[in-house]
Amino acid sequence: MKQSQIKYLEEIAGQDFVITDIEDKICFGYDSTRLEFMPDVIVKVKDAGQISSILKFANEYKIPVTPRGAATGLSGGCLAVNGGISLVMLEMNAISEVNNVDLLVEVQAGAITVDVDKAANKYGLFYPPDPGSLKTSTIGGNIAENAGGLRGLKYGVTKDYVKSLELVLPTGEIINTGAITVKSVSGYNIVDLITGSEGTLAIVTKATLGLLPIPKAKASVLATFDDMASAASAVRDIVAAGIITATLEFVDNVTINAIEDYLNIGLDRNTGAMLLIEVDGYEAAVEAEAQTVKDVCGKNNCSSFRLATSAEERDRLWSARRAALSSLARVRPSTILEDATVPRSRIVELVEAVNDIAKKYGLSIGTFGHAGDGNLHPTILTDLRDKEEEVKVEKAIEEIFIKTIELGGTLSGEHGIGLTKAKFLKLEVSEDAYRLMKNIKKTFDPNNILNPGKLLIN
Amino acid sequence: MADKKNNHEIKNHQSSLKTAKVFKKGDDLFACSRCGTCLAICPVYKNTLDESFAPRGKLSLIEAVANKRIPFTDRLSKKIYTCTMCDFCTSECPSGVKVNELFAAVREDLVENKKYPEVLDYLKDKIEKAYNITFDSNQGRTDWLKQVPGTDIGDYVKQTAEVVYFVGCVSSFSPRSFSIPRAIVKLLKIANVDFTLLSEDEWCCGFPLLGSGMRQEVKTLAEHNIEAVIKRNAKVLLTSCPSCFHTWKHEYEKLTGIKAGFEIMHVSQYLLKLVKEGAIKPGSLNIKVTYHDPCDLGRNSGIYDEPRQLIKSIPDVELIEMASAKKQANCCGGGGNIESLDPALSAKIADNRAEEVLLTGAEIALSACQQCERTMGTALKKKKSEGGVKLKAMDVAELLLKSLESEQN
Repeated sequence: MKQSQIKYLEEIAGQDFVITDIEDKICFGYDSTRLEFMPDVIVKVKDAGQISSILKFANEYKIPVTPRGAATGLSGGCLAVNGGISLVMLEMNAISEVNNVDLLVEVQAGAITVDVDKAANKYGLFYPPDPGSLKTSTIGGNIAENAGGLRGLKYGVTKDYVKSLELVLPTGEIINTGAITVKSVSGYNIVDLITGSEGTLAIVTKATLGLLPIPKAKASVLATFDDMASAASAVRDIVAAGIITATLEFVDNVTINAIEDYLNIGLDRNTGAMLLIEVDGYEAAVEAEAQTVKDVCGKNNCSSFRLATSAEERDRLWSARRAALSSLARVRPSTILEDATVPRSRIVELVEAVNDIAKKYGLSIGTFGHAGDGNLHPTILTDLRDKEEEVKVEKAIEEIFIKTIELGGTLSGEHGIGLTKAKFLKLEVSEDAYRLMKNIKKTFDPNNILNPGKLLIN
Repeated sequence: MADKKNNHEIKNHQSSLKTAKVFKKGDDLFACSRCGTCLAICPVYKNTLDESFAPRGKLSLIEAVANKRIPFTDRLSKKIYTCTMCDFCTSECPSGVKVNELFAAVREDLVENKKYPEVLDYLKDKIEKAYNITFDSNQGRTDWLKQVPGTDIGDYVKQTAEVVYFVGCVSSFSPRSFSIPRAIVKLLKIANVDFTLLSEDEWCCGFPLLGSGMRQEVKTLAEHNIEAVIKRNAKVLLTSCPSCFHTWKHEYEKLTGIKAGFEIMHVSQYLLKLVKEGAIKPGSLNIKVTYHDPCDLGRNSGIYDEPRQLIKSIPDVELIEMASAKKQANCCGGGGNIESLDPALSAKIADNRAEEVLLTGAEIALSACQQCERTMGTALKKKKSEGGVKLKAMDVAELLLKSLESEQN
């Protein structure tokens, strides 16, 4: 970028908030994919007005603009692949007073997810979406990626809680869209279009989010099974029994062994699969549901079953599941976390396919994730400095994706397409649908300045 | 959009990089997955909201240096040194990256490349000339004691003794902290412990230099101090400063190769032992307190329980934990050399911790570190002047002494 252009950005955002030093650009060049693309300039913005001025300018001179929150994404959404401006949203982090009648809270895009939940907690409410990075991630990033989490089965994902948005369009207009009412059918649903659009259509500056009352009681169950098929059958039967659990997490044998290597907490290394189930609601309902879960696990030959109702006991049960990713991450220098998602009924087939693919390429892949909603995290343990192995990893990922689609699934449950899965999108989306997406992009962003190189690439 | 300036800089990386210590840490550097877990806990990141000051950012800069993408620069140096060394990131890193070791290595590299904050030269100069972190003569090591009326210095500085109390520079020279060593020696006297101070034979433990990346300079200090304790025929070395404790316990042997034949204990551990043996009988105090884990005592040395047991040994004291405690305790802002490098940031971090203290409803914020006591005390005082808050910071030893004195009244 030209020096005069940097100067202009300084006039908009202030000199201290426009940074071009290489040391900073390195740090604003990565996210949790560990890929690196340096922006030409970092701009820390304060309000929608500044963003509007920057986008008008960028649109005129065709400078790429890539919004960035806490950069914990797993598909490369905030990486400035074509250079240009990295638009840092972290300073815009205000959270309004909670409206405990309409169960709403208005937040700026840079607000941290857990802070929104804490604000709601003061009123006996909570913000249900709970992505793994919630202590760091921003609401803007969550909306861009339509982040999910552990509670997806019962409580849905980010899109289920976004009521209305303030947006800055790539051409600089500031618009408000959506409604804070429970129901609204006024025109096209732009809110749902933007949620999950990965910062390619508009920049979210403010959102009104829905909240729910905190359930009165909770119970957690840890059940182990000799084989994956029995665990999957238990999952099926729990749902068939009419219970929608708050969480229904699954950990496979490779992951169990990694956890045991790391924590040495006495897990049975021969366990085929572990389920962590949480039910919540009114006390009586929770009690009855926990009993049903127990019966179902028993019928499916679980090798062990533990029930916890107190916060402390629940915490202990969860320690293994919580350590899943850390334990896997310690096995090899690099960890690639995928989020292939299939219908609940096809989980066993996907896990078996992942194991076969791992064997075929001589790779180590641990799988854990959200069995309740079919969103699994096959995690490839590798060393990306080994170029030969990297090629195998890429082939394995492609095969996992192909199998996922075959099983009626989707490439990404909650991490987004971004950079890393863009070349696979056509496995899932037809040519006509792809063209429609491109036309939508063009309508919003005629000069392709907003987060170029993501989602739609050709 | 090629960046000409970058290319130029990258071509000019220094030849001294050949010796860079961070090279040896290749695997660890690569193991950072950039997951961002450290952002949620790093006190520096939380108060700057700037990725380049976060552990993950610093690691990416170290990696860039190791890969010769960039040279050691002043800007990089400032980012690296803006750290409280609380090591929360190291203990929470899901991938188990030894962040603290990498940071220590890069600081040594920065020192070798003469890219470190000027104020650290001043500090080094002070320690080399006066063997303490002030410019005062080291003979003033026991001045805090002389100010206690009726003190016979001979009772406190002996040729040999079973226990050596290593007071530390801050408690020895900063009047603000004198009440801590005074409480400790009073308690040791009450318990009839055969102890001595090293007086001017006590040299700075070297912790501030270790944190600065000046490891080599610490060896002489370590050798002198170990020798001084051996000369006293002591069985136990006591420190009240957690950073002295950490340095004695985890660094001295590595630096000197000398295996100390005496036990190294923190005062909180030793006082608890005295209470358990019945040598000290705590009096009753009807008061609500909270306890702040000093980073060098808690996370860096694993001592969480003894200070708490000591507090609970005082009848009627109610200990209320803060939202973050033990291994997950937030830093007070006084760690590393950040207080001299960026006082405003240090104060902000202290203010965050003071907020946690207030939420407990405690009347006294306890710690087992003169530095934590000072930073939190200042933050709490500021809150007091803003209105409404009646709360003071205190060392656990001071509370124990207070309980004895209240019993006498």
